[in-house]
Formats: sequence, C-alpha cells, structure tokens
Amino acid sequence: MKKNLQWKVVLALAVIGLAIFLAYPYDDTKIKRGLDLKGGIHLVLQVVTDDSLDIETDQEIARLEELLKKNSITFEKVLKEGLGQIAVQGTLADQESKTRDLFDEYLRDWNYTSSAGRAHLSLKPLVAQFLRDQAVVQAKETIANRIDTYGVAEPVVQRQGDDQIVVELPGVDDPDRVKELIKVTAVLEWKLVKAGPVPDEATLLEPYGGQVPEDAEVLKGDPKRGQGGFYLIDKVAVVTGRDLRTIRRTTDEWNKPAVSFTLNADGGARFEQVTGANIGKQIAIILDDKVQSAPVVEDRISRAQGGIIRGQFTPEDAEDLVVVLKAGALPAGIKYLEERTIGPALGSDSVRQGFLAGLVAIVAVMTFMVFFYRLSGLNAVVALVLNVVILFGALAYFKAALTLPGIAGIILAIGMSVDANVLIFERIKEEVALGKGIMSSISQGFSRAFTAIFDSNLTTIIAAIFLFQFGTGPIRGYAVTLTISLAANLFTAVFISHLLFDLLVKKSAKKLSI
Amino acid sequence: MELFKTPNIKFLKYKYIALAITLAIILAGVLNITAFKGLKLGVDFGEGTLLRIMLKSPSTEGEIRDLLEMVGLGKSQVQKSGTTGREFQIRALQSAGDQASEEEQLEAHEALADRIIDAIRGDDGAAERARGLVDLNTIDERSLTSLLENAFPGSGPEAAAAIIAYRNLSGIVTGFEDLDGLGLKPETRSFLQEKTYLGKMTVLSRETVGPQVGADLRRKAVQATVWSLLGMLVYIALRFKLEYGVAAIFTLAQDVLITMSVFSFTNREINLPIIAGVLTIVGFSTNDTIVIFDRVRENLKTMRGKALEDVMNISLNQTLSRTIITSGTVFLTVGALFLFGGEVINDFAFLMLVGTLEGVYSTIYLSCPVVLFWQRWFKPKKGGRR
Repeated sequence: MKKNLQWKVVLALAVIGLAIFLAYPYDDTKIKRGLDLKGGIHLVLQVVTDDSLDIETDQEIARLEELLKKNSITFEKVLKEGLGQIAVQGTLADQESKTRDLFDEYLRDWNYTSSAGRAHLSLKPLVAQFLRDQAVVQAKETIANRIDTYGVAEPVVQRQGDDQIVVELPGVDDPDRVKELIKVTAVLEWKLVKAGPVPDEATLLEPYGGQVPEDAEVLKGDPKRGQGGFYLIDKVAVVTGRDLRTIRRTTDEWNKPAVSFTLNADGGARFEQVTGANIGKQIAIILDDKVQSAPVVEDRISRAQGGIIRGQFTPEDAEDLVVVLKAGALPAGIKYLEERTIGPALGSDSVRQGFLAGLVAIVAVMTFMVFFYRLSGLNAVVALVLNVVILFGALAYFKAALTLPGIAGIILAIGMSVDANVLIFERIKEEVALGKGIMSSISQGFSRAFTAIFDSNLTTIIAAIFLFQFGTGPIRGYAVTLTISLAANLFTAVFISHLLFDLLVKKSAKKLSI
Repeated sequence: MELFKTPNIKFLKYKYIALAITLAIILAGVLNITAFKGLKLGVDFGEGTLLRIMLKSPSTEGEIRDLLEMVGLGKSQVQKSGTTGREFQIRALQSAGDQASEEEQLEAHEALADRIIDAIRGDDGAAERARGLVDLNTIDERSLTSLLENAFPGSGPEAAAAIIAYRNLSGIVTGFEDLDGLGLKPETRSFLQEKTYLGKMTVLSRETVGPQVGADLRRKAVQATVWSLLGMLVYIALRFKLEYGVAAIFTLAQDVLITMSVFSFTNREINLPIIAGVLTIVGFSTNDTIVIFDRVRENLKTMRGKALEDVMNISLNQTLSRTIITSGTVFLTVGALFLFGGEVINDFAFLMLVGTLEGVYSTIYLSCPVVLFWQRWFKPKKGGRR
C-alpha cells in the first residue's frame, strides 16, 4: 500500500469510528426526537409587559402621595394619566422648588415637568424598558419553576424576541391543564369582607348609596369554586402569597381536597392580629381577583398555626394551586400566541412511517445503484451507508433534535447523495470510452466531476443555511439533516469512494465493473 | 451498463414549444392564484385551526361533515387520512373580525376547535360521565395512574403505563378486549370496565397559530426564500458568467411559480415544510443547471467553431444519463416518502415529486434557452457563435 493511501485509510476509519462512537448505541438520549415525533405541547406566549408598567405606576403613586404628605407639600390629587404617566394636581407655586428637590432626590427613575399648580411625571424610557425586560425574565423563571414543580421531563422554556416566551413540553398529554397552570397570574390574597356574597352588584352597594367605598372593591366569586355572587372587599390585603412559608396539598375534615399553608413571621403576626380583631367576620381568600372562598373567622389564628384553603377543589385543582403558589406569581399577564399539541399516538405513527419510507428509499436506491453500476455501484452503496452513519454521528454530536421534516431531509439526502457517485461514474465511463487506462480514467473521473459536485452541494447548503436561520423547530431539523448529509456526502462519495477504488481496483485491471 | 448509447437528441429544437408550454402553465397558475382559487395558506401562517382526530369506529367524510353542519360548522374542510377510515383531518377556518384582538382571535380558533370536537363527539359518553365514569381514550397518564393506584395500591403506575403505551401505539382503544394482551390483572381489567368507558374519538393533534405569530412566520418564510435565492444567484454569478446567472434567475423563478401553481390547482395548503421543499427544489434544480453549464463551459473550450446551440445540445446529451439517473434516484426516494411517509408529510412529498421532474425540465428548457437568447441579443458578433 502506498504511504498516502495508508493515511487516507486511517482518516476514513477515524471519521467513521468517531461517528459510530457518537451515535451508538442509538437511543432517545443520543438523538432527541422533536416534539412532532415525541408528542407534546408547543406554546408561544406573550408577556403583557404593559402590566408591569401599570403596577409600577400604581406603586409610585402610592409612594408619591406618602412622600408629599410627609414633606408637607400641599397637593390636591395624584392622578394616573397612563402607563408610566403621573400628574400631581393642585400644588402651590411657592412650593415648586421644594417639590423639585423632592423629585430629584426620591424619583430618580422619573422625568418631570412642573408648572404652576401642576407637576407631570413620566417614567424614563430606559427604566420602562428595563421593567418590561424584567417582567419577561421573571415570567420566564416563574413559568419554568411552575413546570418543574408540576413535573415535566426536559421542558424547554425560552425567551424569543422582546416579549415572547416559547414553552415546549415533550410527552405532556393534558394540554388544557398545563395551559391553565402556566397562564394563571397566581396572586393570592387574604382580604376582609365588608359585605356579600349577594347575587348582584346593586344590592351589594345599596347600603353605601350605590357607590363603591374608597377603601373597598367589588369582586366576584370564582364559579369554578362554586362561588357565585359579588363581594364587597377591603382594598388592603391582610396577607398575600408572598407571606407564605409553606404550602401543601391536603384534605379537609370532610376528606375533600384542600390546600394548607403556614405564614412567615411577618405575615403570621399580621394574620394573628387581624383574625383576633375580626372574629365572626368573613375573610376572603382571593386568587387573581376571584374569590375562592370566604370563611368566617371563628377564632384568632396564631402565627404558628397556619390555615387551610377550601374551595370545592378537585384533586387536580388543589395540586395545581400548590404548584403555582410555590412557584410564585407572574409579574404580568400572559397571552397565548401559538398552541400546538401533538398527541403521542400521532408522533409514534410519524416515526414508524418515516422509518418505513426511509427504509424503502434506501433499499430502492441501493438496488438501483448495484443493478446499474455493478461493483462500482456497491462502492456507492458503501458510501451511502457511511453517509447515513456520519449523519447520525453528527446529529448526536450537535444534539440536534430529529423532526419529521428532518426525517424527510434524510430521505431526500439519500436520493441526492448518490448524485455525486453518478456524476463520477458517468465521467469515468466517458473517460474509459475515450480509450484511457482504467486507473487514469478513475482519477480523471473524480477530479473532473468534483467541481460540479462541490457546486451543486453548496447551492443546496446555501438554501438550507437560510432555512435554518429563519425557520422554526421542525424546519430547522430539516435544514440540519440536509446540510450535514450534503457535507458528509463530499467526504463519503468523493473521498471514501475514491479510496475504495484505489484499494480494490488492480493496477493492471483491463476492465472496470461499472 | 449504459442508459443510452451515445444519445443525440436535439433538445433545443423544441425550445419554443417548451417555452410556450411553460408560459401557459405559469399564466394559468398565476391567474388561478390571483383571480380564482388563490394560494391556500396553512395553519403555520395564522389561518385557522388544524385538528387531527381518530375515531373508534370507521366513518366517512360526509358523516363528519353532517355532524359539523348541524352546529353550523359546515364550512370546515374534512379530509380522510390513512386507510383505516378512522382518521380524519379537519381544517376549521374562522375569522373573528379585524377588530378582534390577537388573543380573541386565537381564542376564537381554539373555541372553534372545541366546538368541532364537541360536535363530533355529540352526546357520546354523556350518560357514562353522569355516572362518574371517565373516558379511557382521552384520560392522561397522570390521572389514570392515580385512578388505578387508588384502587390497586402499588400496581397503578405500571398498569397505567401499559395502557397508555398501547393507546399511543394504536391511537385509540376500540374495545376492552384490546387490553387483554397487556398483562393486566383480571381485577384491573374489570375495574376499568366498571369505572371507565371508551369514548368514540381521540384528538391526535391540534394546532392553532395566532395572527401575530402567523404574520411572523410568513415574514420569516419570505426572508428565508429571498435570502436563499439571492445566495444561490450570487454563487452562480460568481462561478459562471453573467448570462448564466441571469438564466439561473429565470430558472429559479420558474421553479417557484410552477410548483406554486400546481399547489394552487391541487388545493393543497402552503405550510412551513412546503417553503422548505420549494427551496430544496430550487437548490436541486440549480444543481442540474450547474452540472450542465459546467459541461457547456468545458465543451466551449474544446469545440471551437460550433454554434452555441449545438454545444448545448451536445452537453445536454452528454449529461443526459446523469440527469435521468440522479433525478430518478431522488424521485425514488421522494416516491417512497409520498407512499409510505404518512399524512403529515404528504404535501411535502408531493411537492418534491412534482419539483424533481420540474427541476430537470426547467434546466433543459429554460436555463439553456435563456443563455442562448442572451448571446443572440447582446453578443451578436463575438466569435460568430449564433
């Protein structure tokens, strides 16, 4: 064997060995199946980042009012004029510089203009941007936490663009429950009930002259919890979800599903004080502005004791409530933009059919090549098989997910990869027909066909690269398999095929089986 | 083995006829797309909902359409898939109006999907549910596990996993006797028969893309197409002379237009994989073009004094067996995909079948003539190659 042939053999064996090492033994952990093959849920959601600006504005108004009062600055009203827009009305002209100093010191995140009797504050754009960004980051973390607590293997929670989050949950077969689990804001509050429940708002407000008192709000019962009607409820919460120390699924004394909780020191103290002072009154447990239940306070609840939330839960509901409360509340609302649920049955069906189609394709192509090119065709078959081996090795190495279009890409590549062999073989035939020797015909055939092979593989790879760039999950799978196998094709159909000819065709050969 | 013994077909003799045919197809296609049927955009581009369902017992498209018509959803397209007569694909289209917000639209689609499912299900299982039974064909693994675990502590997860695995394989449980081969304990089986029922349908998949993401995907599809076409063009222009680049533009345009026309004529929907398919065809057709141009370029060097048209004919003949063999192998593989690849990938496989043939045709009867005309019009005297 010639020395440079030895090196070529070593290189070929090394590449093939590496590919086999990477992909063998073939199983699900080596090459992940995409959602379309495995079944699962693909969701694209949008974080309503306006919500976080809204909350910030509200909080700032409360803080501002307090601040103005503390510094004895006269004002009539602090108004919300929109997202991140606050107006202070009825200020005095001679207090203007004092007000400015106050704004400069305490409201660094806000731009302000002030004129006689009025000041206008607006949230700095950079700060607003930061808040929006934070809302998305937090929402992503919260959702990831919820999914972890709920228990899904290998979930994907990814940010996409400014305000979108992509959630992929392989193997999940109860989409509605999971969607709800992700979507609830999960703001839990305990608030004192002033009146209710009554079937309509008018009756509720009658004692107050038809007006909602300033320190209260009207909330509805959650129909899912068997709570109808309207409640008039204190605006200020006694404790909230943030005060929870532990939370657990349990059953109540009638063996119905319920959720038990204990509070941290701070919240526990407040709870103890408020329940002690309000024995005989109702305290409402509110989730996302819907009253879950409104039990009557029978006794002072000590800080260590904790309590229980009842609300005609199904076991699943109780479980899910624990999940969302443990993971914390979402900083802003979310909307679903895209929902795809692929059942596991369809996925496994696709795998079966894709496998069958691939098998038929590869056998058909191999048969044709051997039939048409005889021994040289066998050479092409070896190249084809190695191409597939390298493809799987590369897929395992890049941790690329195999998708249905990806399988189609492999099948297509099987058809296309023999193109290189055909180009070469046809060229060799022509050279032989011109009366050249076998060895020189082979080497001429390879070198002359090479530019065409290189060009043609490259043009398809160009398309595949842009498909990868702009495509989503399944299409990316297609772009990846197509690119890898076309690149591998240059190695197998040109390098290895040539090597096989060099090794197997005798120097003195008069005829080539082609 | 030889496919042809020195073929000598005067391909370019028929260039005018071929051009006329091409033009006719494209005109008809463009007319059909712009004035008549249009291009049907699929779920990926924000158009409605796609449901795939499986029924316990065989049915027909007509029967399902009747069920949908009763609740005023007769416009939905119902299509049988597979050969069992139990799988159907339902495409619901509904516009919630322009005023509706993004979420309302998405929810309208989702609600529509729910209504379709309810309509097909009808009052199936209502009596059973009233007695507290659960549907074994739709229950999720978690719930089934806890149901079985409550009744038979210790063996719940295993039994549930076996049942779900069977259901995943077959799509739907048609009768309790199906469960016999799963190694369930007799008491588990009778418990199931008592506490569960077999609903008439199961949803294999449901997909809804809201208008915002739909528009986003549409934009990305256009970007992917434009950029890859540009990329290929630049490459060809760099590798060959200008006129070959121009010829390639025409060829690419023809590839896209004809495949789109065929899709419009056959009422198939454009989804993301179709875009990927079109680009692959373009790539594939470009392969062909390159191989032939490569040969033309080579022959021009050795065959001085021959007219370009003759050189092209010779080159086409020289590469003919390669053209036929490689298109043939690709055709074989996409044919396998078309026949055995399943419903989900069927449109893609169909596109590839059409495209493989069309790609060869466009190379011979568009790429070459364009170069020829270019030479005639812009370089009449150079070298006298007319």
